[in-house]
Amino acid sequence: MKELKVIPIETDVLVIGGGLAGCMAAINAAGNKELKVTLAEKSDTRASGKAGTGVDHAWSYIPPVHEPMGYTLDDLVEDWRQSTASGASGFLRDDLVRLVASTMYDRMLDLEKFGINFRYEDSKVPGKFRVVYQYFSVPGSFNFDGVPLKPKLTAEMKKRGVQIINRVQVTDLIKTDGQISGAVGVGTRIAEIYFFKAKAVVLCAGGQSRIHRNPTGVDFNTFGPPTCTGDGAAMALHAGLPIVNMESLSGKPNLRAGANYNPNYGDPRSTVQPAARIIDWKGNIIVPRTRFYDWEKLGKEKWTPEVRRKWLEERRSIGNIRGRMAEMHDRGEGPFYLDFAEATDYEAQYIEWSIKNEGRGTQFMRYFKDEEGFDLKKTRQEYAGYGPMEFGTGQRGLWVNRGLETEIRNLFAAGDEVGAFLNAAAAPGALAGGWYAGGMAATRALAQKKFPVAGEEEVKGRKAICSELLNRERGFFWKEVEVYLQNLMDFYCGGIRSEAMLKRGLERLDYARAAPLKADNPHELARCLEVKSIMDTAEMVLRCSLERKESRPEPLGFRRSDYPQPSQEWSCFLGIRLEDGEFKYAKYRGDKPV
Amino acid sequence: MSYKHIYFNEKVCNGCNVCVDVCPCDVLAPNKEKGKPPVLAYPEECYFDGACITLCPRKGAIEIVTPFPMRGGFQRV
Repeated sequence: MKELKVIPIETDVLVIGGGLAGCMAAINAAGNKELKVTLAEKSDTRASGKAGTGVDHAWSYIPPVHEPMGYTLDDLVEDWRQSTASGASGFLRDDLVRLVASTMYDRMLDLEKFGINFRYEDSKVPGKFRVVYQYFSVPGSFNFDGVPLKPKLTAEMKKRGVQIINRVQVTDLIKTDGQISGAVGVGTRIAEIYFFKAKAVVLCAGGQSRIHRNPTGVDFNTFGPPTCTGDGAAMALHAGLPIVNMESLSGKPNLRAGANYNPNYGDPRSTVQPAARIIDWKGNIIVPRTRFYDWEKLGKEKWTPEVRRKWLEERRSIGNIRGRMAEMHDRGEGPFYLDFAEATDYEAQYIEWSIKNEGRGTQFMRYFKDEEGFDLKKTRQEYAGYGPMEFGTGQRGLWVNRGLETEIRNLFAAGDEVGAFLNAAAAPGALAGGWYAGGMAATRALAQKKFPVAGEEEVKGRKAICSELLNRERGFFWKEVEVYLQNLMDFYCGGIRSEAMLKRGLERLDYARAAPLKADNPHELARCLEVKSIMDTAEMVLRCSLERKESRPEPLGFRRSDYPQPSQEWSCFLGIRLEDGEFKYAKYRGDKPV
Repeated sequence: MSYKHIYFNEKVCNGCNVCVDVCPCDVLAPNKEKGKPPVLAYPEECYFDGACITLCPRKGAIEIVTPFPMRGGFQRV
C-alpha cells in the first residue's frame, strides 16, 4: 500500500473555491502586498463554478440609472422584501441585500478594469450600459459580455501574485482553539493530501447539485454545475456550523425552456428579456411579451410606490412561471412554448447576444443554430422535462453575520455558499460578496501574528479515508451509490413530503452511508468524496424537511402533506448543525436567531 | 448513459491540451502520443458548458454533437 504524500502549504489568506466569489475574494485580499493569498480550486479557475464559461446578468443598485428615477437603495430593498421574500421579513436578510446592492456597481467598474466590456455604443442608458428588468420594479440588471469573466479574473489573480492551486478538492476545515486555522484537501488528478495552514479562510465552494436524478438520462446535464456538490456546506457542518434553508434546496417540479437541453433559462420576466412570451398548445398567451424600458423617459418619469404595486400585481398574476406550468402539466395540460415571434430583428439579436453571454447559453445557441439550423424567431422552445430538481441559487448555505463571517472566527463565506439570500445571490452575491469577504479576511490575517499549529489529526483522518477508498479490494463504483441517493431523494423527498416518508428516507440514507465505495484512480477518488458530500447534503435536506412543520409557497416553495398550511411560527429561516454528533436546529428571522 | 459527443479535427488540433486543463469535469485526457488530439476519458461526465471549445486557441479543432436525449424539444413555426 503506497503512502499518500502530504503537501504542506502556509498562507495568510486561504480561499476555498475559485468561482466568481473565490476569484474576487482572492483579488481583493491580494491587494495587500504583504499578504500571501492562496486559492484552492477543484477544477481550473479559467472555467470553474456556476459562471464558468460566462454569465449574462448581474443585478445592482445602479446610481446613474436609478438616481434620475428617484429610486433609492431603500426602494430596492423593499422591492426585494415584497417580491423575492414575498413580504415576509423573516425571509429577508436585508443587510446582505444592501451589501450586494450598494457595492455591486463598483464591482462592475472593477470588472471593466480587468477587461470585461459592459458599455455599448448603441445604448441609450447612461454610461452606455445595457440594463433590463429582472427582479425590481425598475430595470436593475446589467447585461454584459460575460463569457471571458473567468479567464480575466484568473489573469488578475496572477497579476496580483495569488497562488492558484487547481485540481484540489478541499474536504475538511481545521479548527484550533475555537478558530479556523486551515483546511485539508485531496488532489483530483494526483492522489495527494494538501495541508493548508492559514490565518483566515474564505469558503466559497458553491452550491449543491446531483441530489436528484436527471430525467434526460444524460447524467451531468444538470441545472447547476455538477462539480458543485455541496463540499463547502458539508465541511462546515462537520466543523459545527449552522447551515440554513436546506429543506428548500430540492424537490421543486420545474419545466424549463429548451426542453431537455436544460439551457438554464426561460423566464420571460428575467433571463430572456426583451420580447419573450409563453404560449400554450392552442396559441393562447400564458405570459405576454416583455419590453425594454423606454430610456427616453429617464429623468422625466419618477418612480413611485404605485409602480411597485402595479409591477407586483403583474408578477403575482404570473406566479412562478416554471412551477406554475409544472402544476398545469400535472393536470394534463400542455405543451407550452417559449416564443419570440413578436420580437423585432433587433430584439431577437439582443436576446441571442444575452443568451450567449451565459456560457452554457453559447453552447445552446450553437446547438440550436449550427446543429439544427433553427432561427430564434421562427422556432418555439418547448417547456418540458424536469421533475424534482435542485433549485434556488444561493438560498441555502452557511449562516453568516453582516460581515460575512461565520460563527467560527476567521472563517468567512461568500457567493452561493452563503445561505438566506432567497433566490438571489447568484453572480452579484458572488462578485460583491466575494470581494467583501476577501477584504475582511485580509484585515483579519494582517492582525494575526502567528500561524496556528494544529491540523495533524485532520490530515491523518483524511489520509486514512482516501487510502481505504483506493485500496479496497472490492466495493461499489461511485455512480452506483450516487444513483441510489438520487432515487432516494426523488422518492422520499420530492415535491410533497411527509414525516413517515422522510424518516424512511433517512433509514435508507444510513444504508448508503454504510456502503463500501471503491476508487480505482484519483478521478474516481474525487467522485467518491463528492458522493460523500452529496450524502451530507441529502441528510440535511431530509432532516430540515422533517423539522419544518408547515407548507409554504414560493420563493421558499416547501410542501408537507401532513402540515399543508403556512404557519406564522415558521415564518423564518431554519438552520441545522452538528453538535457532538447530534443534529440541532435553530430558527432565524432576518439576521437574528429567534 | 454512454455517448460519444466530442470530436477533434486532427488537421486543426495540435494537441496543446488546453481543453484537458480547463474542463471542469475532467472529461478529457491527453493523448499518449504528443501533438495528437486528447481522448475522451469520461464523456458521460460532461456538463455542456463548452469550456473546451471556448478556451481552445484553434477555431474548429473541437466539435460537439449534442447527445440525443437533449435534442428535439423545439417546434418550427
